[in-house]
Amino acid sequence: MTTVSEMNNCNLSAVLHSKQDLRIDETPIPEPNENEVQLAIGSVGICGSDLKYWMYGKCGRHVLVNPMVIGHEASGTVTKLGSGVKNMKLGDRVAIEPGVPCRLCRVCKEGRYNLCPDIKFCATPPVDGNLGRYYTHAADFCWKLPDHVSLDEGAMLEPLAVCVYGCQRGAVSVGSSVLVCGAGPVGIMTMLVAKTLGASEVCITDIDDNRLTFAKKLGASYTVKVTTDDCQQLASDIRNAMTSAPDVTLECSGSDQSLKTGILVTKSGGCVVLIGRGSLEVTIPIVNAATREVDIKGVFRYANCYPKALAMVASGQIDVKPLITHHFDLKESLKAFETASNRDSSAIKVMIHCNQ
Amino acid sequence: MSGRVAGSGTGSETNLTAVLYEKGDIRLEDRDVPKPADGEVQLAMQCVGICGSDVHYWQNGRIGDFVLRAPMVLGHEASGIVTALGKDVEHLSIGDRVAIEPGVPCRRCRFCKSGRYNLCPDMQFCATPPVNGSLARYYCHAADFCYKLPSHVTLEEGALLEPLSVGVHACKRAGVTVGSQVLVCGAGPIGMVCMLVAKAMGAATVCITDIAANRLEVAKQLGATSTLLVTSRDSTALAREVQDIIGDQPDITIECSGAESSIQLGIRATRSGGCLVLVGLGPSEVTLPVVDAATREVDIRGIFRYANCYPTALAMVASGAVDVKPLVTHRYTLEDTHTAFETTRTMAGGAIKVVINCTKK
Repeated sequence: MTTVSEMNNCNLSAVLHSKQDLRIDETPIPEPNENEVQLAIGSVGICGSDLKYWMYGKCGRHVLVNPMVIGHEASGTVTKLGSGVKNMKLGDRVAIEPGVPCRLCRVCKEGRYNLCPDIKFCATPPVDGNLGRYYTHAADFCWKLPDHVSLDEGAMLEPLAVCVYGCQRGAVSVGSSVLVCGAGPVGIMTMLVAKTLGASEVCITDIDDNRLTFAKKLGASYTVKVTTDDCQQLASDIRNAMTSAPDVTLECSGSDQSLKTGILVTKSGGCVVLIGRGSLEVTIPIVNAATREVDIKGVFRYANCYPKALAMVASGQIDVKPLITHHFDLKESLKAFETASNRDSSAIKVMIHCNQ
Repeated sequence: MSGRVAGSGTGSETNLTAVLYEKGDIRLEDRDVPKPADGEVQLAMQCVGICGSDVHYWQNGRIGDFVLRAPMVLGHEASGIVTALGKDVEHLSIGDRVAIEPGVPCRRCRFCKSGRYNLCPDMQFCATPPVNGSLARYYCHAADFCYKLPSHVTLEEGALLEPLSVGVHACKRAGVTVGSQVLVCGAGPIGMVCMLVAKAMGAATVCITDIAANRLEVAKQLGATSTLLVTSRDSTALAREVQDIIGDQPDITIECSGAESSIQLGIRATRSGGCLVLVGLGPSEVTLPVVDAATREVDIRGIFRYANCYPTALAMVASGAVDVKPLVTHRYTLEDTHTAFETTRTMAGGAIKVVINCTKK
């Protein structure tokens, strides 16, 4: 058990040195710059992208070149204020929105800061993440948690923001009929957000029975197990399970088949939102999509969604706690990663605690 | 493949009509003069333009799931003069010159009620099998889909409101607005109308691509700010060329060719957060760099015909914001329908839009 004085004097961090080489290192305690705060990190969730960096040394077009602190789904407590910080005080508990954009370029000015080409995003090389004892961050990207929202829930706001953004891009609203492909943490939370937005029915698909059972328990209207690679057949199965064809399909699995099926089953005039990442090149039924005006819209992280995600959790509209299935200390980070990547562990969201 | 035309008119027909009997077989025959049903008008047909889809039905007998199974009257880009009123027609009078919006939806389904009537599953669209078109001397149509032309708008312009409406719908779906930087892929008639509408909507730049240099020349004359002759299928390299030409990545790409490599170019070239609109239809399946589009939030939006665009198209032409007259390059009589279709098919003589005049001489 680390003593308080031991904790206060060192900054243990989980550093990914190269693929499959995750170490707990002592790193310098960072000092907050102007408009930044220093945080004692509380909880950090593990994301699929963290796992990819750990397993493969890369994720999409981002390649790990130098050792990098991992982790980006985090919450913490304010321990120091940089100059100019007005909206925070010591001891405030916050959720940390991990991407800080340049604020100067065209997309930043237009409000689509997620697309900023110079965004500094935690744990996207070469930017350090926040899986450590101490970390500094732009104060305006730290969102104060009400007393009744835990640090664990604060950490969950990151994936929840992805789901909020996806549903917004799909214009999910009152009366929408929704298909969610994939019942991992993102699929489940997307379902919860869709229901909160007023969707009248949400059907969720997956290849794994356990995940579907869990989804049903948390409120999915219908579940469909994917057992075929025939997209027409799957589209038909989904259509039969639902009361009406979906207005919006939110693809959360990254499966190419899912994307194609989503196009086939979505109502004319509707939309397929790509939250999961699939193959770089995919053969899609383009004439079907185009002549029925089924739009295909990708998402890249989120923008202006943290406050909404926080409001949904704080108000009780969404309960993210059941998704947190495993807990580890910072020093056990490797075990946490192994658990998160092992299907047999039945993990949904693995949480690492940095303040113990 | 050439088409047979059985009879080219003796001058005694009352309703000479151009009918596609089966692929490759267009015939001119006399049909009864139709009477207008309730809510319809009877029209003396004036100008009918020929579209790529008309040529496709003639050559292939089908487009996707729309299959010609019985003889069908051709023509859907049309204007006419009102000759008789059906019951309950209030807003038109005999003698009115009108543009005819060719698709009449059911008006009852969810799509119709929400304004997206182009997606109506029971749409009756001229010259899409099995629905007859309007390439005849006389034709009847729902009166509320006939738009009265101001006296200074010609009947030829009236016929061109149809492809122009495709351009309006595409530009609206793309979000073209003042200052937009637009890439149009394909300089055929549809690429041209998209370019004209984009400029009328205030686009700062319209760069247009094609594989044919002569089409790019015409595009330049009609107002394209820049052109790119496509000589490869390397969409990444082409995207860089587009950026060099415009000086920036386009906000919007309107793809009008349907070619796979062109759609790929549309994804690669468009700036993050922008939009790719698919107007052209080609192979039913294409391989696309989906992750590039998705992670840069380049939305991919298809269009199906148009809805609520005819009034806009008419206003643009009536005000002079768009001049469609230069698009008409060839004119034929109804009796010469076969030659008109051949010219359209081969694009002989630099044909852009071929128009058939249906009046009796």
